[in-house]
Amino acid sequence: MEYFLTAWVVLVPLILALVAAPAAALAGTFRPSLSAPVGAVLAALAAGATLYVWLSGGGEVNFAWAPTLDLRFAVKMDGLAALYSLLATGVGFAVLVYSRRYLPLHLEHEGRPETAAPRFYFFMLLFMGSMVGLAMSQDLILLFVFWDLTAIASYYLIGYDEHKEESRYSALMALLITGITAVLLLIGALMFYAAYGTFSIPRLADLTETGPLLTTAGAFIAVAGLAKSAQVPLHFWLPRAMAAPTPVSAYLHSAAMVAAGVLLIGRVYPLLQKSDALLTGFLVVGTASIAVGGILALTRDVLKQLLAYSTISQYGYVVFMFGLGGKYGAAGASLYVIAHALLKSALFLTAGAVTEATGEDKLSRLGGLARQMPVLAVSGGVAAAGLAAFPLTIGFFKDELLFAAALERGPIFVGISLFAAVLTLAYTWRFWGGIFLGETVTEARKLPVALVAPVAGLGLFVLAGGVFIDPFAELARAAGAVSYAASVESVEPAYHLDARPENLLALATFGLGVLLIISRQVWTGAAGLFAKAGQKLGPERIYAVSLEGLNKLSDRAHTAEVRDLRGRIIAILIPAGILVGLGVVVTPIGGVYKVGEITVRDLPLLLALLSAAIAALATCLTVKHVTLALVISSAGFSIAGAFAFFGAPDVALVAVLIETFLTLLIFGTMRLIPAETLRAGSDGPKVGAWRKAAVATVAAAFVMAVVWGTLSQPFPEKGVVSRLIKLTPEAHAKDVVTVILADFRGLDTLGEITVVALILLAVATLLGRGRP
Amino acid sequence: MTSALTQAVARLLLLPTLVAAVAIFVKGYAQPGDGFSAGIVASLGILLQYIAFGREKVERLMPVRGMEAAGIGGLLLALTIAIFPLFLGEPLLTHFPPPGSKVIYLGTLELITAVAFDAGIFLLVVGFAVGSMRLVARTGMNEVGGSGLPEESEEVS
Repeated sequence: MEYFLTAWVVLVPLILALVAAPAAALAGTFRPSLSAPVGAVLAALAAGATLYVWLSGGGEVNFAWAPTLDLRFAVKMDGLAALYSLLATGVGFAVLVYSRRYLPLHLEHEGRPETAAPRFYFFMLLFMGSMVGLAMSQDLILLFVFWDLTAIASYYLIGYDEHKEESRYSALMALLITGITAVLLLIGALMFYAAYGTFSIPRLADLTETGPLLTTAGAFIAVAGLAKSAQVPLHFWLPRAMAAPTPVSAYLHSAAMVAAGVLLIGRVYPLLQKSDALLTGFLVVGTASIAVGGILALTRDVLKQLLAYSTISQYGYVVFMFGLGGKYGAAGASLYVIAHALLKSALFLTAGAVTEATGEDKLSRLGGLARQMPVLAVSGGVAAAGLAAFPLTIGFFKDELLFAAALERGPIFVGISLFAAVLTLAYTWRFWGGIFLGETVTEARKLPVALVAPVAGLGLFVLAGGVFIDPFAELARAAGAVSYAASVESVEPAYHLDARPENLLALATFGLGVLLIISRQVWTGAAGLFAKAGQKLGPERIYAVSLEGLNKLSDRAHTAEVRDLRGRIIAILIPAGILVGLGVVVTPIGGVYKVGEITVRDLPLLLALLSAAIAALATCLTVKHVTLALVISSAGFSIAGAFAFFGAPDVALVAVLIETFLTLLIFGTMRLIPAETLRAGSDGPKVGAWRKAAVATVAAAFVMAVVWGTLSQPFPEKGVVSRLIKLTPEAHAKDVVTVILADFRGLDTLGEITVVALILLAVATLLGRGRP
Repeated sequence: MTSALTQAVARLLLLPTLVAAVAIFVKGYAQPGDGFSAGIVASLGILLQYIAFGREKVERLMPVRGMEAAGIGGLLLALTIAIFPLFLGEPLLTHFPPPGSKVIYLGTLELITAVAFDAGIFLLVVGFAVGSMRLVARTGMNEVGGSGLPEESEEVS
């Protein structure tokens, strides 16, 4: 019993995190302002529970939720899970506290009602919950489910300002890029399953062997992770996503969405690190992202854009470290993610506070704010110092481990690392110095404490990490051990007051960084040109062009189908008719067409068939649309009568009902056609009436030949039918037709009703333009 | 628009039609008829009201506005019934109680999941039939010089 309890405690953080979103939404229906506190409390509780479960040794829950499909609900609170869960819930808590003050201001600014707030918190917390689930998943399919949940939440968060076209465009872009690549994750998972028969990541780590399968499937999964982490060339959605309100940017781009990508890579890293090709791929992508992100960050004027490109560059570091591999790579990547989440969320919140105070979001319109907002300047300064890897901040250690990992591999990698660190220093200086130093450009209003306090709190963490690195390093080592699939205990970030290579590299970084800042005039033009070239020829352009092309293709297909309906139908019917006709002609006649016995009892049936035939013939002679509709439906009713006399009451009932409904629908639809068009149609010249009748007669003759021939043969499915009838009482029924529909062939029915529902949606969209 | 006689007949027929629909549904497992037929019968009863009284009056007096939602709800119900056996380790669309075991009867209605599946079909059919006709009727009013309501005028987008 006790074992049972301890095992299930693992689920507490996940449940708390997942419950937060509906709870906040529910609280919001009572009073919109209640959403944030409820969500923040649950986030804090989830963070506490995560810490508790991890410190008390973690644990694992694993049961099959869909045994027939071999899907398991396997979650575990290991180091990696603890790290990302703590980030998601901890930073989530800070961001929620900040949003409580920020969001009302934002809504007021956008002219939206207060009631829009709960939706914001719902998706924010949904993201948090899915992120905890993602972090704890040990099963590729479960992981995929949470992965897609984060994509959905991010779509609504980025597009939160739904009245702005830019927001909608950005949200769609983020969804498409991360959603399409998510399919690659699924494909990779299925490839592994096909080869090894399990979705469990730890078991796959044991089973997989180096080879083309591992490289291909691993590459698919890695691409999903890289796209989510906004790595080159799929990085362009991230700067766009800055259209979201600042708390969303702070959260998604520090602790949540972008982190999810490297979380995935860290989770499947035991598999990926077996393939040298994949590690090389990480090195290339990481380096490209560091360079592109860093250079563009030096050219941006809008604060959040600068930070967005810096995020691309910083996650480039992480991917680069995964590419370097080894224990320093795995543990360093984890420590880097912790440090970056703290630093970057603090910087984003600083940017948001500055914009809120001054109304400006461009570096060129800001400056000298240090005198007016000293607390924010210092807190933001600490975060910036951390990003630039100054000693006494947690950031120092992230670079120390980067250099250590690079030194293990060779001089080229050391060069790239140094280049990355110098770029970081330069754009961080540009950000902080641009806002807080120099001449005052725009006056600032006084800010509420709740907008500054979270920045200060995160800043304290940054400093604390700079002095007491051990708890952070412990977490990073635990996470690194999961990724590396071996102990990384010997990785100990610390200050060493000697001339070891890491320290020399750090000194070189500061020297070169200062040089880069001073030589600004020299490279500004070149960086600007690089940015322009990227806009003209970069992957974002390819995205825009292909999306446009897809829209055009869709339009063309739609026009072709709608404009020339008759042509489309002819294109299907004529070849089909010719094939059937050929079949009839080449079949030998002897014994194929039998005429059974006709008795007096068959008279009503014959009468019904005769009336159907007369009605069918009459369609050739009518011209008025209303008459035509009536004639067609009377043919249908006659056939329903035939079924009734044939001993198929179920079919007859359905036929009568359907015929009635269709007649109504035809009349209703006729109302939609302008009266002149209808009149023109029926008054038109009667050319071709005889030709149509002739075509109809020939077609009918062929159909009759086919039906007659078919009915003359004994039913091959007779066995199936009698078996179904025999099974009917077993299924607690007396009526075979019903039980076939609901039970024996239930899957067909399910498919059919889904089609019906889709048609209803299509009708509603076309006629109601989506309105109810 | 329609005569008093039509209106009287329509009003008289509504309840019996709905009762008949329920009967067809309930007896579905013993006699001809099932959720589909029952759904069409119920829809025809409601659509007759549309013909006799016009769209506005029907929508004011009867809860037909949510019909599309009911249809989608029916689909979700059927999907739920179809999928939940997966969680119990059974193939898709396994019905409960299993063949041969005892079933609780309420009259001719059997409490088995196949009936719930059928109920989903019923809802979907009603939602589709009434919903699509309602939309056709509304659009017809607007676009063919009918008495379109001002708030439903064309949106320029």
